[in-house]
Amino acid sequence: MRRFSKVTTRLLRGLLVLALVVFGGFPIYWMAVTALSLNSELYSTGQVPWPQLSNLPAMVADLAGLPLIRWLVNTGIIAVGTTVLSLVLGALAGYALSRFRFHGKGVIGFLMFMTQVVPEALILVPLYAMFITFGLLNSLLGLVLANVGFSLPVTAFIIKSAIDAVPYEIEESAIVDNCPRISVLTMIILPTIAPSLAAAAVISFFAGWNEYLFAATFLMDTSLWPASVGLASFIGQYETPLSAVMSAALIFSIPAIAFFLLIQNKIVAGITAGAVKG
Amino acid sequence: MSNHTLPERLAAVPVHAGRKPDARRRWKGLLPYAFIVPPALYLLVFMFWPLGRQIYLSLTRTRLATPNRSTFIGLGNYERLFDNPDFYTTLKITLIYSVLAVVIGVAVGMVAALALNRPFPGRTLVRGILLFGWAVPNVAAALVWLWIFNERSGILNTVVTGLGLERVSWLTSTEMALPSILLVTVWQVAPFVMLVMLAALQSVPEEVKEAALVDGADRLSVFKAVTLPHVLPTLQLVSLLVMVWSIRRFDIIYLLTGGGPIGSTSTLIVKLRQVAFENHDLGLASAYGVVGLVLAMSVAAIHALYNRRRQT
Repeated sequence: MRRFSKVTTRLLRGLLVLALVVFGGFPIYWMAVTALSLNSELYSTGQVPWPQLSNLPAMVADLAGLPLIRWLVNTGIIAVGTTVLSLVLGALAGYALSRFRFHGKGVIGFLMFMTQVVPEALILVPLYAMFITFGLLNSLLGLVLANVGFSLPVTAFIIKSAIDAVPYEIEESAIVDNCPRISVLTMIILPTIAPSLAAAAVISFFAGWNEYLFAATFLMDTSLWPASVGLASFIGQYETPLSAVMSAALIFSIPAIAFFLLIQNKIVAGITAGAVKG
Repeated sequence: MSNHTLPERLAAVPVHAGRKPDARRRWKGLLPYAFIVPPALYLLVFMFWPLGRQIYLSLTRTRLATPNRSTFIGLGNYERLFDNPDFYTTLKITLIYSVLAVVIGVAVGMVAALALNRPFPGRTLVRGILLFGWAVPNVAAALVWLWIFNERSGILNTVVTGLGLERVSWLTSTEMALPSILLVTVWQVAPFVMLVMLAALQSVPEEVKEAALVDGADRLSVFKAVTLPHVLPTLQLVSLLVMVWSIRRFDIIYLLTGGGPIGSTSTLIVKLRQVAFENHDLGLASAYGVVGLVLAMSVAAIHALYNRRRQT
């Protein structure tokens, strides 16, 4: 009897895992299958439910008609800019929050946590008005500045919890030797928390990579469009072959998927650290 | 964390430099500010000033064409808001959407975490596949789901008609649009819940579970008596995070339905954009946004209060 129930449990568990895999993986599978389909199949004869590698040349030819490279270059610039600025400011904030006591520390920590509650759409119009005034509208720099407002606090919390775990003795002798604090941070602390810095970098990189609303609002010039805005422009538009759209979406997604899988646990630790320690 | 593994004499070293005697010289008291002021100033300029300005806008009459010219009207926009049946619909949709996203997303994520908690061949691969929805950028996710939901040629309706049923208007009917959006939301949110809960489940002390099993307890009561209490704080934290994210979510809803049909998927934040950019009424739009912000902040505040009570 007990043996029987053990077999059933295993079977049920297997079916459950299978259902979850189908639910979780199907959209990406379908993206790939659609990318490798002909438009005639998609809209009239019916979609073939497995990838047809024979359509690869046709897909590449369709893809060549899209300004995908330029979009990805713009996306890359935005993502790198967001990462660099978030890391520099986040390291300063993380170090201060971890190693010092000062007036307003609690308030600053609380406000940084609160940024994660603010919807992007809520500061869209004031930022827009501000960017008009300072000539930052229609510029990738303006976009980076807007993105960092959201990624900086996350980066700061990750770096803070990493520094919390570094014993104070490591920097003590350098401080006694009157080494400037900024060098203590850059030469001693940051190298010891390199894995957390990498995680923070990946999080801010893909925050910039994926960002849509600010980019769609602040960039009018199509030559400045990142891939998120370019791809979204295909919604409700039927001139571009769907297979090309899907292959572009896939190319846009693959780096994000790869890096998220690579540092999944670090990302989770980072996001929850902000929520717990704020 | 690693402090526990350090020799005891290190534990006596003060963590905060401000307490150290060599901080005697006066200017040293300013040192923390050299580090905190640049990031704090940055957030002030690019986050809190716009936020404050937006809250102020909700107290004014301002048109989109002239965002820098506004007339102060006090609580006028909120009066208009609370007199408008549209607002209550939007609020109701926001609450339904967020609560269901939490309930279903956390349930699916928790079930997935339990299923993956014990090793089996291919577990790493399965876990990787389950994370797709969380890792894919919103715009790419929207594109593929729009195609899956496509009324004429999408795979869902191919299956539905194959079963001899009527085609479903997944995103274009008022009954189905919100459930369809929820399906995509769960696909995006459940993997995160799974990852967090998996980490929590792995930290459940194995000896206690085994002792209970040896004493003759069945698996379900072990789960209820040992596992669940151990992971409950994490479960609450992750639920609150999902709730806050759902209240502030914009991209996927906007890209899939734009808030339609007839406002049936219009949450406060989607409505904010519509009122601002289609009705050009920045004052009223801000009022919608402020209500959304207050809602999200109350959820975060409940979490913070709860956390404090647990710590004391």
